[in-house]
Amino acid sequence: MDLNEKIKILSDSAKYDVSCSSSGSSRKNKKGGIGNAAPSGICHSWTPDGRCISLLKILLTNYCIYDCKYCVNRVSNDIPRAAFTPDELVNLTINFYRRNYIEGLFLSSAVCVSPDHTMEMLLKSVKRLREEFNFNGYIHVKAIPGASNVLIEETGKYVDRMSVNIELPSGESLKLLAPQKTKESIIKPMGLIKSGIIQNREEKLKFKSAPQFVPGGQSTQLIVGATKDDDLKILKLSESLYNSYKLKRVYYSAYVPVSNHPNLPAIIKPPLLREHRLYQADWLLRFYGFNSGELLNEENPNFDELLDPKSGWAIRNLDTFPVEVNKADYYTLLRVPGIGVKSAQRIVQGRRVSMLDFDDLKKLGIVLKRAKYFITCKGRYFPQKSIPTNPVSIKNRLLLEDNIRDHENVEQLSLFSLFPDIMAAELHMSRITGVL
Amino acid sequence: MPCYIYDGSFDGLLTAIYDAYYNKDFPEQIVSRDNFIDNFLITKVYIQTDEEKSKKVHDAILQKISRHAMSGIMYAYLSEHENAGIYILEYLRFGFKTGRIVDSYLADDRVNNINRLVTKVTREKHLLSGIIRFRLLQNNIYYAPIEPQYNTTCLLGKHFAERMSDQIFVIHDVKRSYGVFYDKNKWFMSDISIKEDIVFHENELFYQELWKHYFDYTTIKSRINPKLQSNHMPKRYWKYLIEMK
Repeated sequence: MDLNEKIKILSDSAKYDVSCSSSGSSRKNKKGGIGNAAPSGICHSWTPDGRCISLLKILLTNYCIYDCKYCVNRVSNDIPRAAFTPDELVNLTINFYRRNYIEGLFLSSAVCVSPDHTMEMLLKSVKRLREEFNFNGYIHVKAIPGASNVLIEETGKYVDRMSVNIELPSGESLKLLAPQKTKESIIKPMGLIKSGIIQNREEKLKFKSAPQFVPGGQSTQLIVGATKDDDLKILKLSESLYNSYKLKRVYYSAYVPVSNHPNLPAIIKPPLLREHRLYQADWLLRFYGFNSGELLNEENPNFDELLDPKSGWAIRNLDTFPVEVNKADYYTLLRVPGIGVKSAQRIVQGRRVSMLDFDDLKKLGIVLKRAKYFITCKGRYFPQKSIPTNPVSIKNRLLLEDNIRDHENVEQLSLFSLFPDIMAAELHMSRITGVL
Repeated sequence: MPCYIYDGSFDGLLTAIYDAYYNKDFPEQIVSRDNFIDNFLITKVYIQTDEEKSKKVHDAILQKISRHAMSGIMYAYLSEHENAGIYILEYLRFGFKTGRIVDSYLADDRVNNINRLVTKVTREKHLLSGIIRFRLLQNNIYYAPIEPQYNTTCLLGKHFAERMSDQIFVIHDVKRSYGVFYDKNKWFMSDISIKEDIVFHENELFYQELWKHYFDYTTIKSRINPKLQSNHMPKRYWKYLIEMK
């Protein structure tokens, strides 16, 4: 089989893994070596689906002994199979890297022969890249559930990031769709990598020259929409992964139908908007000081697809608003819809030298579309006729403004499909005059 | 009000700043020779580039404002914006008055104008560090042609010299006819005019094909979203991208 054919098969099977980040590691190049890691991560291209290519994301092989219903590579699926030799893989990586096509390698694999055998093959490949080719670019490797501790720990010494995919957010879902995997077999390697990272950090304090162990941290992935698990369950899981397993990232992947097994839902379009809302909530957990209980609860276990999670939270908690931009502390500013980490930092920096007004905020690059309903400057609301202060009208305004930006999607909004004529007329006006 | 015309170099620009500052002059424009458009209402002042004056301005910025301010005006200069010269002068006047804290005046136009240019240049530099594509030539040189919107090629030398430390490469700014060279020891800049044809190494097209294949197969067809793609990677950069041909 020629290399083109192999790339086709093995990248096709790997692409549903969403993780692509190359950040978090600052591995330096060595003398006479090739490559280094950029702490910010670098994207090298964007495919027509709008996702970035940073790493060469590929499987070592797609021969699999498992039969997970949601997966393209399941043993019962009739697809072409292929496997790279370590030489082919290493050559490909180096040649792509030298041409600046990629930032490094993301190597994964189907479970071939046994978990230990597969892990050994992965280890062999990355070891060859690092030791024989003196390659110091970014490497992300999958830890195979069920592989022995020694192999996983050894691999950790050569790579920048490791991940174990949980895929299904609950034990019941696993039983239904991936009967050969258990919760324990997934959680075990995660715990192992976590303690490896902590131990390495302590060693680094004592000996500066201690070898690195997974300096880019570990990540995982959850599939959204293949099972009945609600957003609350997924978010709670992410929260505990961040807190107790110290994960760097949890990725969410809208379920793309790759099989029509009776245990799977029949869906035509992947639930992209739901995936997007989960990512927004994930950011709120990691950088905005929210916890999952504030965003969702037993009565409302799923996100409103029309409204972002932070706006949703703010509307439910209007008693904490409006916030005075010139006085509120950083963490309070972060909770204002429309104000992100960068905006909050700029506000804190800018108000050191002068009181800020709405015009100043615009110059700081702060978008007021959402924020204006929740803030005051020098004690005053945004100078616009009738800024609403009750939850229902704020919500309607936010939805309306979203919709004007995106007027092709008018039908998606139930609010407007109730009054199609009025809406059509108003939108027509706004297109002519440019104002609402 | 006069219009200052300098030779286009960074030293020339700093000399213009020096002259304006010490002559207590308020020029209407500070432009490079190449961008100057004459008309009979303009009083022209030609700036003689003077390295001593330029160094004095440079040292004064480091001493009285900050290193951050120095790299800020450098980036603003590289943006080649028509008003960059005058923005820099206004910013420095303000900076010499306020000192180190000048960059906290985010809402002040004098600071904001510079920051906007810095953001543009920084973004392009980061984007380019990902999307330049080397082609291996017959003589074992890795060659990457680009046409950046801003003059960011010179900012790429350090990054690639550290990363590709064992390969000889040239990053060629086709629009501005100069390039960054690296010879396995150090990197430097030089003018480029290519006379002979560019001949690829025998393996080059093989890897280009593989890359194009990879690019196609890694796309998820049920999530196609070309607008998102060109938001991240504007079409003006596609000309030299192997996968977009």
